Amino acid sequence: MAVPTPDALLATAAAPPLPSLVSTRRLRSQRIGRALRLWVPAGILLLLLAICFVLPLAVTMPSSTSGDIIYNNEAPFSPGHLLGTNVQGVDIFSQLVYGGQVAFEVAFSVTAIGMVIGVTLGVAAGYFGGWVDGVLSRLLDILIAFPALVLALVIAEGLGPSEVHVIWALSVFAVPAFGRISRGATTTVRGLPYVTAARLSGTRSWRIIGRHILPNIMPGIVTFSLLGVGVVIILEGALDFLGYGIPLPEASWGSMIAQGQQILTAQPEYVLIPSIVLLITVVALNTLGDALRERWGVQ
Amino acid sequence: MSAEATPAEPLLSARDLVQEFVVRERGGGRSGVVQAVSGVSFDVMAGETLGIVGETGSGKSTLARAVLQAPRPKAGTVVFRGTDLTRLRGGQLLQARRHMQFVFQDPFGSLDPKWRVRSIVEEPLTAYRSGNRDARRKRVDELLDLVGLDPARYARRHPRELSGGQAQRVAIARALALSPSLIICDEAVSSLDVLIQAQVLNLFEQLRRELNLSYLFIAHDLALVKQVSDRVAVMYLGKLCEVGPGELVYKTPLHPYTKALLDSIPSTEPGAARATATLRGEPPSPVNPPSGCRFRTRCPRAADQCAAEVPQPRELAPGHLVACHFPLTGGAPPGAAAAAQHAASALPGTAKAQG
Amino acid sequence: MNGTQAAGALLQVEDLRVAFAADGREIRAVDGLSYQVDAGRTLAIIGESGSGKTVGCRALMGLLPASAEVSGSARLRGTEMIGLSDSELRRHRGQDMAMIFQDPARSLNPTMRVGVQITEAIRAHRKVARSEAHVQAVELLRLVRIPAPERRFHEYPHQLSGGMRQRIMIAMALACRPKLLIADEATTALDVTTQAQIMELLLDLQAELGMALILISHDLGLAASYADEVIVMYAGKIVEQAPATRLFGAGGTVKMRYTRALLDAIPHLERTAHTELPVVSGRPPDPTALPAGCSFAPRCPAAADDCAAKTPPLTEHAPGHRWACWHPCENGVPA
Ligand SMILES: Nc1ncnc2c1ncn2[C@@H]1O[C@H](COP(=O)(O)OP(=O)(O)OP(=O)(O)O)[C@@H](O)[C@H]1O
Ligand SMILES: Nc1ncnc2c1ncn2[C@@H]1O[C@H](COP(=O)(O)OP(=O)(O)OP(=O)(O)O)[C@@H](O)[C@H]1O
Ligand code: SF4
Ligand SMILES: [Mg+2]
Ligand SMILES: [Mg+2]
Repeated sequence: MAVPTPDALLATAAAPPLPSLVSTRRLRSQRIGRALRLWVPAGILLLLLAICFVLPLAVTMPSSTSGDIIYNNEAPFSPGHLLGTNVQGVDIFSQLVYGGQVAFEVAFSVTAIGMVIGVTLGVAAGYFGGWVDGVLSRLLDILIAFPALVLALVIAEGLGPSEVHVIWALSVFAVPAFGRISRGATTTVRGLPYVTAARLSGTRSWRIIGRHILPNIMPGIVTFSLLGVGVVIILEGALDFLGYGIPLPEASWGSMIAQGQQILTAQPEYVLIPSIVLLITVVALNTLGDALRERWGVQ
Repeated sequence: MSAEATPAEPLLSARDLVQEFVVRERGGGRSGVVQAVSGVSFDVMAGETLGIVGETGSGKSTLARAVLQAPRPKAGTVVFRGTDLTRLRGGQLLQARRHMQFVFQDPFGSLDPKWRVRSIVEEPLTAYRSGNRDARRKRVDELLDLVGLDPARYARRHPRELSGGQAQRVAIARALALSPSLIICDEAVSSLDVLIQAQVLNLFEQLRRELNLSYLFIAHDLALVKQVSDRVAVMYLGKLCEVGPGELVYKTPLHPYTKALLDSIPSTEPGAARATATLRGEPPSPVNPPSGCRFRTRCPRAADQCAAEVPQPRELAPGHLVACHFPLTGGAPPGAAAAAQHAASALPGTAKAQG
Repeated sequence: MNGTQAAGALLQVEDLRVAFAADGREIRAVDGLSYQVDAGRTLAIIGESGSGKTVGCRALMGLLPASAEVSGSARLRGTEMIGLSDSELRRHRGQDMAMIFQDPARSLNPTMRVGVQITEAIRAHRKVARSEAHVQAVELLRLVRIPAPERRFHEYPHQLSGGMRQRIMIAMALACRPKLLIADEATTALDVTTQAQIMELLLDLQAELGMALILISHDLGLAASYADEVIVMYAGKIVEQAPATRLFGAGGTVKMRYTRALLDAIPHLERTAHTELPVVSGRPPDPTALPAGCSFAPRCPAAADDCAAKTPPLTEHAPGHRWACWHPCENGVPA
């Protein structure tokens, strides 16, 4: 008789005849839970990005930098001001939107810079080992030794606050973070038999890095970078809060909180609104990272 | 076959291989040297399979890697197809080594999970810039056919879509890509289930017949090694204790350690005398191996001479070498009475009555 | 033997089923397991990887993750084990039943001295003074043939060899003299000489303590040499069960084709080198979608239409010999 192949076997396995031990409700809720864990945070982030970057192109928004003092302290949902206005009469929703643009721009730039430079250094250190690793690891250690905030303050003091300076300052903190994590992942993958196999089959180093190491460490790096974006948003907020970030009157989430904080007891919503938006963004980034980690089986 | 290796000349000839590792004791700063392989010599003829058995930690994998020059051995020579690999570097070594391939223990671990079967098998061809794209493509189809995988069905799969046996076949196809004359298998079937293991062993046999391949076949399962090998080498603590034709080594072992290994195999015959623990004690540390014969601390025949002198390999029957002062057919050792007593205590007295 | 009689059995398992909910699909790991073990006897459970050997035994111990649904019954000395609460199970674990796990490296705490780990295992179940537990722990180390037990007591797991770590695991499992010991691939990672030492030790202890032993393994040689009774599992089901003397050796009468395939596929010392091994193609079925009929049918050389249509029941065809196959082997030889 013909030898059945595994595929024939899988074909016959199509009709499960047995009554289920696990309730269908439990199975369904597991499936739904898995989908929700990914799509809810992803949806929230897409929505936030759309509001920050697409909405201003579609509709004309009130200015986020100046307002009419006559219309100050408007309550939320007042005409023309979705979330009301602040003490100076600036539209809070506009501030949130333009502050969000800044937050995401800074966060994505910092993460991209950190990823490109950090992963390059980390992979080189992890793959080549020896003195290369020695030199690069020391370099990363030195960068890590700089407290990010203090450095940012120094840069702001020296060069004056600006978005670009914030990006450079926070990159100093992102590069070694990505460097460390990719160095660790590289050393792990480098020791796996398929890399040894590639080396012994005569594959050159750059090709091993490009085709074996990078594809296999990328899922871990990407989930890490989502957490990184969240951290950078918080740090950027902290710089703004301290007045060393995005220069006023340009809107930013951190400076909104800082201004609101002066009248915290009287009108807590000026602090609450930007804080909640910040919180939602960071939590969404983290849960999305966790969901991807679960899907991709990253440790 | 190659022009360099005439039938009379061995395909691979390793002489006095030594490999050592410096280790630092955990906690303390004291360091020692693990003598993983200490002066091992052997030959592999064209079309022949040499099996290597031994306990874990006896240095089998280290020996295999020393042959591959990854890492290069501390001392000794490895002559493969007439060239001494230990003298070559870089590109020259790469060229010399293309006829020597290897198959690892873990079938899934040795395949990149992100790659498809086709690219995995093609990798050595790409690395050695062998042929153009179409030629390589044809070669991959050929290789997959050879190992019994339908290219149309399997070439586009990822390793996770394969069973253990299929994954190991892919690894074997990759090893065959450059038409090697020697394949080094380090525990290549140990992690497979018995049913899949049998499939892969049959494939090795088929390839040996069809391609006149030689194998260096490392495993700790004695029956498995016997099944595939022409000659068998037994390793203990970094040294070879016995080398000989498979049938001879298994039927009339000369070294007390070989005998102990053979006696420890559980038999599939119920009610027959149970395998008894013929070897007492733990293997000694390779950092500080015993003087003289490395097996003497656990050997029932050990005498004073064993502690004083390192036993040199002697050919007691044609092609059957043993490194022992008192081999099992070479007469009784001086302390025969004590040894006999020791042996008696190891007989199946503890065997449990069969229910 | 439907398991209803035999009040004397130490462990009586009936229709044990385990399913996991994973990624919204049901994985049926164990599907209607029934067997019994008497005191002082050894049962071997053999089968391919993933056939449900470990899961079936973990279910007895109450050691499955929350994603598992367990049904059926398992009575240990008359007490039902399935459905017990965690605290009730903890009383039985160690005292009445103990398990040696597949992976000794991961089952020992690397940051604790082995002696302390054994002492804690003793004190978790019995109210004894620390000093008394220490004495007992050293005694256990001696029992499992660890040389210089007083010294080893103070060492960390990484300072011991694999064989010694496995013996520490055995010592911990034996700490409270269990009535039932489950050894899950306890010797698979070891080489033959160490394996032989440990099996001897287990048999001695079994005779000494009147313990029942369940050996989980995919090594048929081990099962043949050490077990009284053998269960062969495939895709979560028992496909053949018989006394070891009936299945193995010269006069063996294997009936189920899967058992036959397992036996034939092992290289024996008696075989001549380079001979072809009989093989079975394919792989075990996907546990999330088991086929109708006999689950071995897609790989079976003797499969006919009825095999794929109806599930063969596990029935006792000869005294003590049960098998589930529509077209069994004649006299143990493949037809
Ligand atoms: N890179 C290394 N550094 C330090 N010691 C090593 C290294 N590689 C191997 N060893 C030691 O060398 C000895 C031989 O190891 P090897 O892996 O060759 O044994 P083996 O016979 O292959 O064992 P197994 O059957 O377990 O695979 C062991 O004592 C091992 O601990
Ligand atoms: N926690 C779990 N969640 C989901 N599925 C599981 C879980 N544990 C085990 N399984 C599945 O249950 C089935 C039986 O597994 P089990 O560990 O009992 O196999 P086994 O016979 O012990 O195999 P091995 O010889 O490899 O140890 C497998 O298909 C396995 O994938
Ligand atoms: S040389 Fe001596 S100690 Fe070594 S194996 Fe022979 S008899 Fe035993
Ligand atoms: Mg090895
Ligand atoms: Mg298991």
